[in-house]
Amino acid sequence: MEDSIGGSSSNDNNIIKEQDRLLPIANVGRLMKQILPQNAKISKEAKETMQECVSEFISFVTSEASEKCRKERRKTVNGDDICWALATLGFDDYAEPMRRKSRTKIQEASTNQNDLC
Amino acid sequence: MSDAPASPSHESGGEQSPRGSLSGAAREQDRYLPIANISRIMKKALPPNGKIAKDAKDTMQECVSEFISFITSEASEKCQKEKRKTINGDDLLWAMATLGFEDYIEPLKVYLARYREAEGDTKGSARSGDGSARPDQVGLAGQNAQLVHQGSLNYIGLQVQPQHLVMPSMQGHE
Repeated sequence: MEDSIGGSSSNDNNIIKEQDRLLPIANVGRLMKQILPQNAKISKEAKETMQECVSEFISFVTSEASEKCRKERRKTVNGDDICWALATLGFDDYAEPMRRKSRTKIQEASTNQNDLC
Repeated sequence: MSDAPASPSHESGGEQSPRGSLSGAAREQDRYLPIANISRIMKKALPPNGKIAKDAKDTMQECVSEFISFITSEASEKCQKEKRKTINGDDLLWAMATLGFEDYIEPLKVYLARYREAEGDTKGSARSGDGSARPDQVGLAGQNAQLVHQGSLNYIGLQVQPQHLVMPSMQGHE
């Protein structure tokens, strides 16, 4: 598999590497496999379709979160912005569990800090 | 722009976020996609001066795993009902439509058609390499390589701007 795609421009800036654009297919396949029954198989085109979808999903949600930060004149996108973007884009079922997990993680981190002190 | 130098193989799962290992649960790298790669894709959707907090990367990492599981399990159920063992691209498209991702379907249908076309061409040609040609490697990227998000659906010649899509609420997700 080639690394770069796009036109045959000599300018490096115009070449976007495949590995920068997509998530590793082996990892995507592994994750998909865990959901399937033992005897099930996944075609290569299914893995690659999922690869494309996941990249788009990430861009989609991040863009929305980024837009919110821009309007609020903030430079850093945080977990709450991602959760807000998920809810805004109709992924309501994701947003709340993610918020809860995020809060739990923050609490765990602060507990660990206190233990160390 | 990217967080870490791109390594040729991501098989190991790359850099992972340090979550507590659950006893008896799948290994970290089997449950999540590499955070460095996720971060790299996120960065492409931000302005040059934009930054991403670690908790944003972690949240996205969780979401992506959930997203894959969600769609795959729906596609898998369809295959089981139809007594088929192999999940293909069409099953995933069907699952997305069923789960409320209608806006993804049309661009992906085009992607799949071009993918299959490319696969056919590759298998047919004597000088084919490993037979893994993809649409974006057979001249389908065209002029869209520099679109803002550089998201995959933009790559196949469809001017899809993700932030303008309106996603319906997903049903039945736990």
